[in-house]
Amino acid sequence: MATERNGVRIVDTFAEAFDMRAARVIITAATPAWARTAAQSMAGFATSVIGCKVEAGIEAELLPGETSDGRPGVSVLLFAFNAEGLASRLVDRVGQTVLTCPTTACFDGLPDASERVTVGGVLRHFGDRLQSSKFLDGRRFWRIPVMEGEFLVEEAFGVQDAIGGGNFLILGSDPGAVLAAAEAAVEAMRKVRGAILPFPGGIVRSGSKVGAKRYKNMVASTNEAYCPTVRGRVGVASALPDGVNSALEIVVDGLDRPAIERALGVGIKAACRPGVIEISAGNYGGRLGKHHFGLHELLQG
Amino acid sequence: MASDRIRITGGTVYDPANDVDGVIQDVCIDGGRIVSQLDDGRRIDASGMIVFPGGVDVHTHVAGAALNFARGLVPENHRMARKFLHGPERRAGLGGMTPTTFATGYLYAGMGWTTVNEAAVPILSAKHTHEELHDTPIVDKSCLLLMANNEIVLDLLEAGEVERARHVVGWLTWAAKVYGIKAVNPGGVVAWKWGKNARALHEPIEGYRSLTPAQIISGLAAIVDDLDLPHPLHLHCNNLGMPGNVATTIETMKVLEGHRAHLAHLQFHAYDGEGWDTMRSGATAVAEAFNAHPNLTTDAGAVLFGDAVTITADGPWQHLLYQLTGRKWGNLDVENETGCGIVPYVYKDRNLVNAVQWAVGLELLLLIDDPWRVFLTTDHPNGGCFWRYPEIVQLLMDVEFRKEQVRKLPSAAQQRIVLGDLGRQYTLSEIAIITSAGPARALGLQQKGHLGVGADADVTIYPAKPDEKGFLFSYPRYVIKGGEIVVEEGDVIAVSEGREFIVRPAYDDQIEEYIRPLFQQVYTMSFENYPVEIERLRRPELMTLGPKPA
Amino acid sequence: MITLTLVEQPVVPLEAEVLCPDVMASLSHEAIRALPVCLGKRQRRLDDFFRVEGEASDELEIRGDAAKIKWIGRAMTRGRIVVNGNAGMHLGAYMRGGAIEVSGNASDWVGAEMSGGLIRVRGNVGGQTGAAYRGSVSGMRDGTILVGRDAGLEVGMRMKRGTIVVSGRARDFAGLQMKGGTIILGRGAELRTGAWMVRGTIISLHPIPLLPTFAYACAYLPAFVRLYARHLGTLGFTLPCDEVSGVYARYTGDAAVPGKGEILVWNPRGN
Repeated sequence: MATERNGVRIVDTFAEAFDMRAARVIITAATPAWARTAAQSMAGFATSVIGCKVEAGIEAELLPGETSDGRPGVSVLLFAFNAEGLASRLVDRVGQTVLTCPTTACFDGLPDASERVTVGGVLRHFGDRLQSSKFLDGRRFWRIPVMEGEFLVEEAFGVQDAIGGGNFLILGSDPGAVLAAAEAAVEAMRKVRGAILPFPGGIVRSGSKVGAKRYKNMVASTNEAYCPTVRGRVGVASALPDGVNSALEIVVDGLDRPAIERALGVGIKAACRPGVIEISAGNYGGRLGKHHFGLHELLQG
Repeated sequence: MASDRIRITGGTVYDPANDVDGVIQDVCIDGGRIVSQLDDGRRIDASGMIVFPGGVDVHTHVAGAALNFARGLVPENHRMARKFLHGPERRAGLGGMTPTTFATGYLYAGMGWTTVNEAAVPILSAKHTHEELHDTPIVDKSCLLLMANNEIVLDLLEAGEVERARHVVGWLTWAAKVYGIKAVNPGGVVAWKWGKNARALHEPIEGYRSLTPAQIISGLAAIVDDLDLPHPLHLHCNNLGMPGNVATTIETMKVLEGHRAHLAHLQFHAYDGEGWDTMRSGATAVAEAFNAHPNLTTDAGAVLFGDAVTITADGPWQHLLYQLTGRKWGNLDVENETGCGIVPYVYKDRNLVNAVQWAVGLELLLLIDDPWRVFLTTDHPNGGCFWRYPEIVQLLMDVEFRKEQVRKLPSAAQQRIVLGDLGRQYTLSEIAIITSAGPARALGLQQKGHLGVGADADVTIYPAKPDEKGFLFSYPRYVIKGGEIVVEEGDVIAVSEGREFIVRPAYDDQIEEYIRPLFQQVYTMSFENYPVEIERLRRPELMTLGPKPA
Repeated sequence: MITLTLVEQPVVPLEAEVLCPDVMASLSHEAIRALPVCLGKRQRRLDDFFRVEGEASDELEIRGDAAKIKWIGRAMTRGRIVVNGNAGMHLGAYMRGGAIEVSGNASDWVGAEMSGGLIRVRGNVGGQTGAAYRGSVSGMRDGTILVGRDAGLEVGMRMKRGTIVVSGRARDFAGLQMKGGTIILGRGAELRTGAWMVRGTIISLHPIPLLPTFAYACAYLPAFVRLYARHLGTLGFTLPCDEVSGVYARYTGDAAVPGKGEILVWNPRGN
């Protein structure tokens, strides 16, 4: 059973997403460009927890009025399976890409989260005992002496429950049309706060299935049901309807259910364009992830 | 007067000096003393309660120049201290670790202690001590004179002039109007005037040609015995506080053979190990040596976790403690006689050294066989405050509770002590010995520490059940001092004035002709102002001593 | 709202710890009037000196020249006290939360050893603002004190954290032996600022004489100043923090300890 929108068939299925833990890092700098530079470096190589140990992306650009120090900034969301993992990734990434970037300062973006992990409190050792701290309004900040001047980084960052792996699939008549639809979806989804798209440009060209059928000991392998070139091969059950020659997946991680619903909703609507035949979603029969996002329900929003 | 007569009926009496061990019997009081029976008088129904002789603290620091200097060093403690507001019967005061004088009397009496021995008095500031003792209400008092770093005496000992030294010590004892003789870190405090210490018992002291700490110790012990003082030489051994000082303590016991002596706060002198990282309990060896020397008595000097203020004449040790803590430190020099050092300190259960110290005090109390020879003290306020003695009583009487506290220590600490293996539990009778009967006997105060006919009527009546914190002895129901009810239900209801015990030893008056020119040569005050006039003591109780029978 | 109007000036300073929201929040009118105050060693009633209106509130207004009323707001944890007039010694000492505002001057020991809350004195304050009492290891641990005009000796002595802003000028020994915290001096100070300093920050918006044991480091605009600028901006105080207007000269000290503290002296551009 499916519904239609703008001539595109919406499969009556659901995306299956998982419990994750998330942190939000706010990077400020002298100019929006430098903040972006640090953020892009920090969120790089963070597409999937499986290979990269963390998933990350730029959430939003922030105006001077929205940041602790009144300078332009960028917020980055990071997702991992547990707080310890997040803590290590934050220390590594802030240390290697924000500390090292000119004019930046780094603040916690989840001040209300009750669970805290130590980031600045670890990075402070880079100061070789020449660092100092400031305590203001219940928050501690470390001032690390660097060649440029001083790097200001918050001691502890909040960690909260979050959801990872929200997704939908765009199936279309040719790669160009599918990509254009995906790009339109990404542009709409990037405006949603509380959610990020961890993959390059927000799009997954190589959606995967759990494990492998023909090799042992693989964590994931190509999602053959949606691969056009193997439709019809012996041993391959294709999920591609007639007319589909290409498919792309959009994956979104979010701080809570509403953020993912909003992102998927605006994304799917933006993707219903000429050349797109069907919108579907990935799931494991509902057996692995506890968060289910039904595509029909999303479109009612 | 009828009010002078009190009958305490139905209480369970512990009077170990008279072999009364938990017997339900009456205790009768008339005119300030215990009598055998009474037909009238106020009746206190002590059924279901425990009746003890009033506590006797054989070693504490509560009055005088050193203690007052300490009070000045810690104003922040006074802000947090228990406040005693003045009332019709009571003067104002502050409790805390260095209580003011009136509060000291109220606190001791409130706990059921009725006699205290101020353990360290320099002759030069003895007047100050007597002034403060005068203002310490209710309890009876005695005090001990610092002698082991007195340069006139040391010169005589070095010259081998033992007889003359004895007369000088006799003269000084009477001049200061005290009860006994105290030796602190013999030779070490005089060396501190040169910035040094005296760690080796058999090596000459800084500034002297041949005199060793061992010679001071044996010389003074012999003098005290020859003067027939009621209390033996009271000795704070060399190397207090140092890891490995077990050797010094045991060697000191050997030096003292043939004499009476009382070893002060033995806990601080019972450490094994080579340095701070390897410090461990040496209580087993010290207790064993102590058990084998029946001429000695001692007091525990136990440590309790929490705040303390260390006050001692052992100046060089205090300087070391200051360097370890990096916080406040006060140091006083007393010309030609002694000195003192003050360092506020906190004993922490997470600190390995402090954990060992806490265990060692209890281990000594449990490993020393004869309760008549080891007494309950914390060297107040060095190891902990005297009003926390009930915590130690609980640890001695309840082995399960004690083992539970041991288990709470860091495991590294547990491996350095033996306390967890000790199963002995003190009985109430033994508690009465270590808190009252034993110290009274060691001090030679024959009318104290027991409830026999003729004894001073110092009686403490405790509820039989521990309070909600598990302490048996925190709040006596009644405390009677000299036959007057001074504390009822934990509140001081009447304030009496205690007596001060002093001795006049036998010495040759002519010795003054020897002392005077020396004094005028080396002291900065006039010789006439040096002795304490008897009129300065309000209620002295004088014991005149004859020459010892040959 | 409870209004307390001073109608009888005490002959000697009055010990009035009861002037505290925690004390009065649940008391009836009669109970408030009967609260004990100490005049020397004599205990008196609050209404011997104050006319009381209202009851059971954690908002207090004190009216009149209370320069001899000591311990207003002592150890308060909540609520508000407004003093329309002057206030006496130990205003807000040991405070943990809530807010105090004084329209006139206050005396010595404002906010001594406080650990939270906000004190604002529009006029002058005396000495030992936010300081440690004698013998204590540190002074105020957290909270904010704003002084509209001048301050006396030993502002923030031995302070450990928290923020003190003096819009006017401080006298000698501002930040004496401080171990942390931030002191801002709007119009500088007299002598020996930062003496014996261990950690912490003193910001002076006006040139000040410095001890020889403070060493010049650099001229810059510290990032953390922007955080303070925002925080203090909401409280009505402007802390310069943009490179266009100027820079801070950083001096580290007190080398006599040796300390890791800093004194930042504002240097406007065009100077």
